[in-house]
Amino acid sequence: MNDAPFSGLEAVVADDRFPEVDLQLRRGRHIGREDGLAYEFVADAQPFLEELYRRYGCELVRQSDGYFYLLPSNDRLGRRRLTVGEMLVGQTAALLYLDPATLQHHGVVARDAILQRLAALIGADALVRAFHPRKRRVDERVAAEAVRGQTAEALRRLADLGFVDSVDDAHVRLRPALLRFAEPVRGVQDRLAALEKLVARGEAAFGDEPADEEPRAEDEPAS
Amino acid sequence: MDPIDPSRAVAALARDKAHVDLKTVDLCFLAALHLRAGKTGLASFDEDALFDLFEQACDVVEPGADNPRTRATHAVRRLREQRFLARVDGAGLVRAGEYALTRLAAAVVEFFLAEETLTRESLTLLTGTLRAQLAQVLAAARKADGADAWRLDVVGPLDVTVRDLVSGIERRQRGLDAQQEEVRAEITALLGADWFAAIERCQALLESTTATLNELNGVLLRDSHHFVALLQEIAALAGAAEEASAEDAAHRVVEHVDRIAAWGAARQRAWSEYYQSVHRFLRDVVRLDADRALSRRLRDQIAAWPSKPFHLLAARAPSIVLLRAPEARAERPAVARPRSDREAPPEATAATDAAADLEAAVRRALADGASTLAEATRRVLAEVPAPARYAAAGEVAALAVRLAAPTSACDRPWVDVAPRLEIEDWTDLGPESRE
Repeated sequence: MNDAPFSGLEAVVADDRFPEVDLQLRRGRHIGREDGLAYEFVADAQPFLEELYRRYGCELVRQSDGYFYLLPSNDRLGRRRLTVGEMLVGQTAALLYLDPATLQHHGVVARDAILQRLAALIGADALVRAFHPRKRRVDERVAAEAVRGQTAEALRRLADLGFVDSVDDAHVRLRPALLRFAEPVRGVQDRLAALEKLVARGEAAFGDEPADEEPRAEDEPAS
Repeated sequence: MDPIDPSRAVAALARDKAHVDLKTVDLCFLAALHLRAGKTGLASFDEDALFDLFEQACDVVEPGADNPRTRATHAVRRLREQRFLARVDGAGLVRAGEYALTRLAAAVVEFFLAEETLTRESLTLLTGTLRAQLAQVLAAARKADGADAWRLDVVGPLDVTVRDLVSGIERRQRGLDAQQEEVRAEITALLGADWFAAIERCQALLESTTATLNELNGVLLRDSHHFVALLQEIAALAGAAEEASAEDAAHRVVEHVDRIAAWGAARQRAWSEYYQSVHRFLRDVVRLDADRALSRRLRDQIAAWPSKPFHLLAARAPSIVLLRAPEARAERPAVARPRSDREAPPEATAATDAAADLEAAVRRALADGASTLAEATRRVLAEVPAPARYAAAGEVAALAVRLAAPTSACDRPWVDVAPRLEIEDWTDLGPESRE
């Protein structure tokens, strides 16, 4: 008797869960244990899916924290770098994920708490400058409103990517995939060296965000 | 018993402005009274005993407080106003009063003093008693042969004894909820304080709570099924005997029992999620970061990020382009106005020169013998439309000066020259004397 859930790629593709999972992976979503059946499917079909996506120039990555994602090594399927807002909010959410106090509430945190923590970490002025790098003078009220808006937008995109789950208008549930933001500092080695390794592996990219990289048009692959 | 309408009950409380305001010292005082009453079997307290107990409570809460007697007086008044204490002697001014705790006070104190948490022992005891009680009620229902028998032997026990027992289980469930919250807070505190060293204790707490919940849920599932079967049989007997009140009472208890069983399933599900997330956290975060350096390094990374930014990369497959079905497009003409010759032919019109006309009129008036400015003006204005007369009067004066060299007396008379128009008159206008 064969214990393997799938006999081959044909059986994987014929599975009812394949279309949705395939679309999610191609759209950059991180599929974790919280996703239940989708996660089970990817875990069961991993060898076949790895082979499939390799032909598109993508690597199906499985992290020990319990999530899968697709990492493109070229532009065949399209790829994008996360925006400034997504990076800042994602890293802060990862920090909150590591806090035992978050555990008490099943990983649910207030959206305001993320922004509050971020402002405390890098300072309100630096936060405004990070979100508005080209503006020299910004009205305080307008800047605060814009930062709040961009944080909300970043959380929405992080939810699309499977880093957080939107619980309601005021709360999000943090997911283990957030630990990807902490990858450069997970090892004992120097942060810069670790980051260079991630860049070499195609997990990350250095530098400021190019103006044309804002993910507005969903169908434009990054250059 | 009619069920209470929630909206009416809330409205009534709002109308009566019901409120409770208990300070710590008040609560300690009530607890002291409650415990003393239980210990000595006293049903009420005289004023001296009341004040002594208040002073004892006050010594604990605020040692060295001034005027304890006065404070006791105020506390007793406050508690009586809020219906925590009731005067029970009815002697009025004749002698010092006797006071007893009210039902409200007893309930509040019991809540704070009691450690009513659901344990396997307490639950087994309660469910056993409940099962016996329901069996008795069922037997009584089978034998009931009249409305009185149904009311006394079925409705009464269902409404009082059985519901009290079920409420007892529910109250203890709430106690267990509170205990679970404490366990969660304790795990958070343990990890916050000891991190890696707290793993064993966290796991022990998780396991013990999980075992308790599993046991309780098992008992609840098994026994609630049995209770519902007994209650449905009672309801069926009541229905057959057309005893609506007994049937309603049985259904109400069934709903109560269902709620208890649902609680068990919901709590176990919620706890299971929490259990998994804690284990995942211990395994993926705490064990891999024994000295808790990851959080610190991540904080540093975030602080440094604006100056040394990097970006994670993610897949972004383009959406499939859906081509539209071909459609024949009708050529729509450009929007335009119809062509036409909009140039109008010139019309011959008589040239008008108001100044020349006016001068000619003045010359005519002078030639006709007008000897004063008023006379000349009157003649000229007769040919001028009313709105232009005021301005024309000035023009006439100017022309008269130029054409006729008038003289003027020192005191010039004001003369009407037109309706609502007067001028200062000049005399000796000769015909075009200056030109």
